[in-house]
Amino acid sequence: MRTRLLSASLVCLTVLSPLDARAQHEGHPGMATDAKADTTSPHRLHLMAQAIPVLTRAENTAAGRDLTEGYLAQVVGMGSGRLFSGHLAVDVTLNGEGLTMRRGELSTGAFGEGFVDRRHPHTYLHELIASGIGAIGSLKYSGSAGRGFVPYGTDDPMMRPFEKYPINHHLSQILERGLLIGALRVGPAILEASTFGGEEPTSPSSWPRASRFGDSWSVRATALPTAGAELQASYASVQSPEQPGGFGLDQQKRSVSARFVSANGERYLLAEWARTDERDAGRDVAVFGYETALVEGAVTLGVVDLGLRLEQTERPEEERLSDPFRTPRPASDLSITGITRWRAATVAMAFPGATFGPLRGYPYVELERLAASPRAATDIFDAGQFYGRAPLWMASVGVRVRYGTMHARMGRYGVALPAGPPLHMLGVDSTRSSGHAQH
Amino acid sequence: MLSIEEESTSRTSFHPYRSTMRRSFLSLVLALAFGGACGGDSSTGPNSQVNSCPAAGTQSNAMTVLGCGNFKPKRVTGEISVRGTTAYTTTWNNGSPTSAFYVWDVSGNVPALVDSVRVDNASTLGDVVVTPDGKYLVLATEYSGGSIVIFSLDDPRKPQFVSRFTNAETNAGVHTAEVGTVNGKVYAFLSVDPGGGTPPRLVIVDITNPAAPQQVYSRVVGAPFVHDTFLRDGILFLGLWDGGVAIWDLGGAGLGGSPANPIDVGLLQTLNGHVHNIWWLKDPATGSARYAFIGEESPGKVGTSSSGDIHVVDVSNMASPQEVAFYTVPGAGTHNFSVDEQNGILYAAYYNGGVRAIDVRGDLGTCTSAQRSSPVNQAVQLCDLAKMGRELAVGLKDRSNAVYVWGVQYLDGFVYASDMLNGIWKLRAVSR
Repeated sequence: MRTRLLSASLVCLTVLSPLDARAQHEGHPGMATDAKADTTSPHRLHLMAQAIPVLTRAENTAAGRDLTEGYLAQVVGMGSGRLFSGHLAVDVTLNGEGLTMRRGELSTGAFGEGFVDRRHPHTYLHELIASGIGAIGSLKYSGSAGRGFVPYGTDDPMMRPFEKYPINHHLSQILERGLLIGALRVGPAILEASTFGGEEPTSPSSWPRASRFGDSWSVRATALPTAGAELQASYASVQSPEQPGGFGLDQQKRSVSARFVSANGERYLLAEWARTDERDAGRDVAVFGYETALVEGAVTLGVVDLGLRLEQTERPEEERLSDPFRTPRPASDLSITGITRWRAATVAMAFPGATFGPLRGYPYVELERLAASPRAATDIFDAGQFYGRAPLWMASVGVRVRYGTMHARMGRYGVALPAGPPLHMLGVDSTRSSGHAQH
Repeated sequence: MLSIEEESTSRTSFHPYRSTMRRSFLSLVLALAFGGACGGDSSTGPNSQVNSCPAAGTQSNAMTVLGCGNFKPKRVTGEISVRGTTAYTTTWNNGSPTSAFYVWDVSGNVPALVDSVRVDNASTLGDVVVTPDGKYLVLATEYSGGSIVIFSLDDPRKPQFVSRFTNAETNAGVHTAEVGTVNGKVYAFLSVDPGGGTPPRLVIVDITNPAAPQQVYSRVVGAPFVHDTFLRDGILFLGLWDGGVAIWDLGGAGLGGSPANPIDVGLLQTLNGHVHNIWWLKDPATGSARYAFIGEESPGKVGTSSSGDIHVVDVSNMASPQEVAFYTVPGAGTHNFSVDEQNGILYAAYYNGGVRAIDVRGDLGTCTSAQRSSPVNQAVQLCDLAKMGRELAVGLKDRSNAVYVWGVQYLDGFVYASDMLNGIWKLRAVSR
C-alpha cells in the first residue's frame, strides 16, 4: 500500500509539473549558468522529480570488503507552492529510497539510523511543511509546522553539489522530525526557533511519535552580510534520538557555517564546523563528543564543473550485526565501541547535460579517498583492522535525471529561506528560492 | 535447524576488531620477553594462548593474579561461567553470522583453552550459564533470530548441542538468559531486546526437558531495556534500566505467583537508573537476606571508559525496597557480580576499573556522616561503601595493560574474570 501511495504521488507530481512551466529551466549547456534562473521571479508552484542511477565502487569498505553496487539514489518528488498572496507556503518532498535502496547507499564512513558505511534511505514522507508568512513593517515573520528539517546546521546534502553525502550528515543536520518553527527576519538577520520530537526515524515508513513531540528544541541565527553570502550559527538540544521510546542519551548540537554562492551560480563555497555532545541525563554528564569540520566548493570551468570537499568527522562506532553495515536499532545499551576520526577528500566532476524529452540528465563522476583512525588507542573498534591497511577509496559514476529544477535550498522554511542566487553546477540546477526573505 | 559446529582448533578466522599490527607487535614483544612463548599471528588466535600475563605493578590492595589465558584473543570476550574445573566464555560483537564460545580447563593457575564451539545465526553471545545441576549450558544469542541455545555437559569439556529456542517474541535478540529452579522445574529467564518495532520483554521458558523448551510466560517490561534477572527462592529480580528494579513472586513470596503467572511484589527506581543486574544476598553466616545489590550500567566506550555505580537496596520489605548505600569508582562503571556468600564478599566486574572486592557483610545502611556521600548528580546522602572501608581489594588494575572486565565468577577460593580486551584471568579470592 505504501509503495502504491508513493508511486502514485510521484506520478502525480510528474503529471502536474507542466503547471510549473514558467519555473522550469531548459537546462543549460554543460554546467553553464541558466541566466533565466537568476531573473525568475518567485513563482506560485514549483515541482520537481529526480532519480540518480549511480554505480559505486568502494575498496576497503566495511570488514575490508571491496564492493561495487548500483541503484537509484535520491529518488524524490518535490513540490512547493505559495497561496494567499504568499502568506501560506507549502513544501513537500517524497522520497523513494526506501524502495530503491532499502539496504542503504554504499558510502564508506557514513552512519546513522542503524546504518554504517552505508547512507540510510530517507523516509517516504521526507518533508511536509506548511508555513504562514507575514510582515509588520520591516519585520517579517513566519510560523511553520509539519515534518521536515529542524532549524539547525547547514543545508541538506541533497541540495549540494556532491551526490555522496558527507560523513557528518547526522552531526550537521536534523531531519524528518515533527516540528514547529517560528522565524523572524529584519533586514539581513534571521532568527529561528523550533520545538520538535527528538527521535530519529527507524525505517522509511517511520512517522514522528506524538508522544515525543516538543521534547527537543533548537535555535538558529543567520546573517546575510552581502549578496550570496550567509553566516549561520545554531544550537539544538535533542532528547534521546537513538531510542525512539526515550531513555537514551541526549544530544547537544552546535553548528557554525559560512556559505557563498556567486551571482551567476558558478562558484560555491561552504565551510562548516559542528559538534555533537551526548549526555547521560540521569548523571547529567557529557559522555561522548563528535566533532566535524568540512569545507566544500565548486566552480564552473568552461563546460565542466569541478567540486572538491574536504572533511574531518568523528563517528561513533557501535556493535555491528551479522551484516557489517548495520548496527542494532535501537541499541541494547548506551555504550559504544569507539570513536573513529575520518578524513575524506572528494573530487567531483560533472559534464554537459543532455535532454531526453521532458527529462534532463546530468552525468557526473566522484572520487573519494578516506582515512579512518581511532580517537583513543584503547578503543575496542580498530578501524585499521576493520577496513584494512590499504587506502580507502570510493568512486561513483551516475546521472542526475531530473524533471524540473531543484529547490534552491533544503532545510529552511518561511522567512528563514533566503533568496540568494541559485546553484548551477555539478548537476545542481536549483531555481531561485521563492524569496520569502528577499535580500 | 541451525547448525552448531565445533570451530576448528587450527582456524584463525578474520576478526575485524583486533589490529594485526598490534597483535604482531605484541607477539614480538612477548616472544622476546618470554623466550619465544609465541611466535606469530596464529599464536594469538582464538585457539591458542599466551601463558605469561602482563607484568604487575605496585598496588597495595591488589588481588593476586594466578594466570591468564588466551591473551588478546581474536574474538572479543563476553560473559563467563565456571563449573568445577571448566570455564566457558562467550564472544561478543563478532560482526558476522557466526559466534563462538570457548571451553577452558581452569584446574591449574593458568586457564587452558581446550575447545571452541561455533554458534551460527548469532552475531553476539552475551550470556552463558550452567544449569544448577551442572548438566547443561545455556547461551543467549543476539540479535535477529534471538534465542537460547542449550548444550549438554555430559562431557563438560565437549559441550554437545541439545536444542535451540527461538520465536517471534525473542527474535530481536536475547540479551541475557539466567537459569534457576522453581518448584523442581528448571526455567530460563530471557531478557529480550527491543528491536524491529517490538518492545523489550521478559520471556520465561521451562527447560526442565532441555530437548523441548516450552515458553510459559512473557511480559513487556523495561524502559527501554530489560537487561538481566536474578532468581532466588522463587523470587525474581528484574533489571529494567530506567524502569528500575522489579521484584516478582514466582512462588517464593507467598503471593500465589508462579513462573507462568508472576505476581508483582515491589519496584524501586534506583538513583540514576540504568539498572542492569542484581544480586540478592543471603548471608549464610548471619542469615541476613536484607540487601540486594544493583548494578547500574551507564554509558561507556568499550575498552576505554565506563560509568555506573553499585546500589545497595534494603529489601527487608520487598513491597517497598529502599536504597541505603552505594559504591562508586571514579572513572569506571560496574557490570556483572558474583558473591562469595560464605565470606560476605562481593566481586564486581568493573570494566576498565578491573575487579572490585567489596565487604558486604553486616549493616550496610548505617554509617557516620563522614561515611556518606551523594551519587553523581544526586542530592541525597547515602552510605558510601568505599568511605566505610568496605573495598577490600582491586583486581587487574596493577597490570601493565588495559583491561575491560565484563564478568566475574567466584568459585572455591578463586575469582575468574572475563576481560573483553584480553580473554580470561584467574585470581586468588580475597580472604578476610
